Amino acid sequence: MNFLKSLRVQETTRARLLSVSVLTIVALAISFLLPPVADSQMAGGAAITIVILGLSWLIGWSGQISLGNSGFMAVGAYAAGIWAHHHATTPLIFTFLLATVAGALSGLIIAIPSTRLRGPYLAGMTLAFSAAITPLAQNFTSVTGGEGGLFLNSLSTPSWFVHFFSGPNATIDANAQWTADLAVLVAGISFFLMANLFHSRTGRAMRLVRDNDVAAELVGINLGRTRTLAFVVAASFAGLGGALYTVINATVTPQTFPLTLSITLLTLMVLGGIGTLSGAVIGGIIYAFSANLVDHINALTGVNPTSNLGANMQGIIFGALLILTMIFAPRGIAGMGAAVQRLRKTRRSALASSSAVD
Amino acid sequence: MIRVEKLSVNYGAIKALSDVSFNATPGLITAVLGANGAGKTTLLRTISGLVTPRSGNVFLDDRSLLKTAAEDIARMGVGHVPEGRGVIAEMTVDENLRLGALASKINIAEGLEAQYQQFPVLGDRRKQYASTLSGGERQMLAMSRALIAQPKVLLLDEPSLGLAPLVTSELMKSIRSLCESKQLTVILVEQNAKSALKIAHDAVVLHLGTVVASGPANEVAANDNLRRYYLGLVQ
Amino acid sequence: MGAFLASNFMHNIFGGLAQGVIYSLVALSLVIIWQSTHVLNFAQGAMAMFATYVGLTEIGRGVGYWWCVIISVVVGMAFGGITERVLIRPLYGKPEINPIVVMVGFLGVIEAVTAGIWTSTTRNIPAPFSQIYYQYRGRLILLSPFVIFQIALAIGIMLFVAALFRYTKLGLQLRAAALAPEVARLLGVRVHRMLTIGWMLSAGVGAVAAVIIASGNFGLFPTDMDGVFVAGFIAAAVGGLESPMGAIAGGLLLGLVEQFILAYWSPSVAPLSGVILLVVALMVRPQGIFTRSVNRRV
Repeated sequence: MNFLKSLRVQETTRARLLSVSVLTIVALAISFLLPPVADSQMAGGAAITIVILGLSWLIGWSGQISLGNSGFMAVGAYAAGIWAHHHATTPLIFTFLLATVAGALSGLIIAIPSTRLRGPYLAGMTLAFSAAITPLAQNFTSVTGGEGGLFLNSLSTPSWFVHFFSGPNATIDANAQWTADLAVLVAGISFFLMANLFHSRTGRAMRLVRDNDVAAELVGINLGRTRTLAFVVAASFAGLGGALYTVINATVTPQTFPLTLSITLLTLMVLGGIGTLSGAVIGGIIYAFSANLVDHINALTGVNPTSNLGANMQGIIFGALLILTMIFAPRGIAGMGAAVQRLRKTRRSALASSSAVD
Repeated sequence: MIRVEKLSVNYGAIKALSDVSFNATPGLITAVLGANGAGKTTLLRTISGLVTPRSGNVFLDDRSLLKTAAEDIARMGVGHVPEGRGVIAEMTVDENLRLGALASKINIAEGLEAQYQQFPVLGDRRKQYASTLSGGERQMLAMSRALIAQPKVLLLDEPSLGLAPLVTSELMKSIRSLCESKQLTVILVEQNAKSALKIAHDAVVLHLGTVVASGPANEVAANDNLRRYYLGLVQ
Repeated sequence: MGAFLASNFMHNIFGGLAQGVIYSLVALSLVIIWQSTHVLNFAQGAMAMFATYVGLTEIGRGVGYWWCVIISVVVGMAFGGITERVLIRPLYGKPEINPIVVMVGFLGVIEAVTAGIWTSTTRNIPAPFSQIYYQYRGRLILLSPFVIFQIALAIGIMLFVAALFRYTKLGLQLRAAALAPEVARLLGVRVHRMLTIGWMLSAGVGAVAAVIIASGNFGLFPTDMDGVFVAGFIAAAVGGLESPMGAIAGGLLLGLVEQFILAYWSPSVAPLSGVILLVVALMVRPQGIFTRSVNRRV
């Protein structure tokens, strides 16, 4: 019996691995067809997808609200940046791992006082953390480069990759392609890990803690440790996403992680669907092409994109989308998809039963 | 007076009340009796507008209350002392009473004075927080807070709950004398049928949301079957 | 006496208090809403900022300082009332994450709209009193007529709010609606109206804080109130979120802690002072330093 169970788990894990691989390969293939500008956007979207995966896990599965994920991102981004600044020759994977660990540590530090807090207290506490990150980065100039940040030429595209490109913009094209593929690959791996985590024992325990902490305690789940773990995982994903940001931009500055980024992250997660894997990808895609979306809306409404209003259109649209989604479709796009599927199923069964009556 | 007509209330799939009808005669005490879960509290909450019925109607002096909000029903002269008394513990005795006076146009200072005369214990503790009062004093405060607005109808939900037998009988006596002196129409919900029947003029017996008997209180009290099966009064 | 007032220690006390009263006002405004509707209004700072920008525009048209204050407060109150009616009312009884997310979205919209209308530049109101610091034998005392006005105005507003809650019929009803909404309805209190009024009151108090900030030399920037909101939240949380007095005390404490960390520890660490204070406070007394022990809501 136990043997059967373990077999089945392996099977679903393998199935997940297969589908994630297919998705990643498709995304990589698309990246080769897209122009360099779109490739850069794709890279950003993939990095954000990783952060949203963590946020979705934290808010959707453990029921803890965080507005601090831009702060965790900043920690990862700076960890990667500072390391790459001093140790140019280490392999990239080591930089990513380091950033992930740094993110996890910052999550742990925030989680220890925070897991005793609920709802709005927690949201405010994490907001206070992410609000403190930017001035900290500005103040510790000797380490972070202060206002101007760090420039990391060492993170440029490897030369063997550039050789595949030709033409006057070979380096730029290669760079866009390289960062997009790198980000998609890392996002694919993160997605696979999170998918497994969602369906693991820990994932189930997390949901039980969210829905009924008394019951969870009765079956022997340590509430504090479980909630802390949720934070650590979310923060490590945010740290990894932040590190990708650093690599994509080959620079890290305090202005990259304003408080509004936390709002953007929250919007994308809610829009995609809280606590869903597909929602995180949807959120990432929306983020990647949000600039185009905003341009499109500006064109539709006749707002001059270089005017004041045009420059702030993104903030207005994102904020409004967040409000409207939360009031009218709190399950997001992924949730709506699921609802449509369910509707179709019930209609089918209704049809079947009505014909049976006839 | 209050007239309840074919009142039905559902909570989701659960029927809390079905087809409940009765009259509360002006100036008299109508006791609503029955076991836990019989629908007594739901009945009072529907009369005062906190619960919307599925069907049926409630009339105050031949005016339907169905479309009226709870706060307006209170302002029309229906005082409701809820289950558990609803005394606001974080406010002083004085503040609780002032709050009660807001539903009417009476002079607050005079109203307060009248209540403190009626309930001298409250007068002694007017500056104390309600959280410091005993159970009996809290019940007194809750009644006083409803009475200060000079209501026409008083709805009392389990006033004897948690009180010692001696305090309960004092309370029941004071309810009766209040009713007589002020010509109040009282609907008294009680699980403690014995005490309630002593002072009530009429009685309605509820069981699982339906009326199983109604009539003059002494007749209900004399009916052995009612006593045994619905009121828990076995000799 | 004069020498004492001009000492380094008193510099920090005055500086901390001047900043602290602003935090106290914001914290107070958050607590008013929290008590009545159990919503932590993340857009509180932004709403106040918006109202003050409207007031600022009027000052550009030649309106005097006091009119500007009044316009800002009135606009703020109207804004607060409308927000409660339109955005918050549909969310009563929903999971607590919903109003948080909606207000965070609203925060984004307000800041973007403000920057869209008035451009992302700092604006200020000419201060109504001199901002030149007093001196004692050539040494500065960190008080100016304006700073005294700032502290006095904030204290005045707090006293006004306290008196309103404690001594008026409206305050009685506001408290009843917050403490026991159902009982309040049974006593004829129009609870929905009270919630709207609570939001209006809160937004008005917030607007005063924003006006004070805009009146100084530094002026007001569309995103400036983010930091002030965070500080106000920390102050309110240190005070326990349920207690207006706790919020005020928490604000003053935070102002002082920030100032002393800045002066005696390191300016680089100063941005963290709020987080540090909150962590320490939560470890010492998780239910808030100034609350009588309250049962946790489940």
